[in-house]
Amino acid sequence: MVHPRSTVTIEQTQVGNKVVLRVAGRMDAENAAQFERQCESCIARGFTSLVIDLNDLTYVSSMGLRSFVAAAKKLRDKGGDLRICRLTGLVRQVFEITRLNQVFPPHDSVESALLEG
Amino acid sequence: MTLVAKAESLGPATEFVRKGAREANLPESRIGELDLLIEEILMNIARYAYPEDAPGIVTVSYSIPLPGELALEVGDQGVEFDPLTASPPDLTLDLAQRPIGGLGILLLQTFAKSLTYRREQGWNRLRFGIVANP
Repeated sequence: MVHPRSTVTIEQTQVGNKVVLRVAGRMDAENAAQFERQCESCIARGFTSLVIDLNDLTYVSSMGLRSFVAAAKKLRDKGGDLRICRLTGLVRQVFEITRLNQVFPPHDSVESALLEG
Repeated sequence: MTLVAKAESLGPATEFVRKGAREANLPESRIGELDLLIEEILMNIARYAYPEDAPGIVTVSYSIPLPGELALEVGDQGVEFDPLTASPPDLTLDLAQRPIGGLGILLLQTFAKSLTYRREQGWNRLRFGIVANP
């Protein structure tokens, strides 16, 4: 049974040769793999540059963080990258504590994440 | 409450401690941290405390020592593990060198107030608190 506490929705938009994934809700042990699968599906379709909009993500645990790192490593192996933007609240705090904000320097907007590189 | 030490127990454990948070009048802003703490502890027990083919139990209890303060205890009968003595992850590594996991204990040590551990008659007992105004 999937418990009601645990929901994440991932909305996908293609912008040129990049894909923006808008992740909303909660990323925890029960659903973090969903994000990783979505990234893998993008890679399988030839997209290796992903922008992850976390403005509406309210919660992320270490299992969620694992999926960011795992997906970013896969993208890097393909010569691509993963960019994070619009961190807020607890999610921003968690990225700062774990210093993943240095691995993924956060962008303030989707537009600036798309423009870089 | 007593649960099987499996990921599937995360939902009921979270609902249980949230009930405690409501009784302690913790503000909504503390609930995310409470969820995070219970998830990190429970998932650590589910993944490492017991043999994969023989999951054991985990107990979760709470008390309210003062209004605006929630005290929690999580117990398991798995391998002895004191998260207070766990080696900290190297946060200076870049993406290529970073291990995929290993950040849960750091989050636990950061968000839990007054985190204590004791090994008692085959039980790991982890105690910590959440307060309305840290």
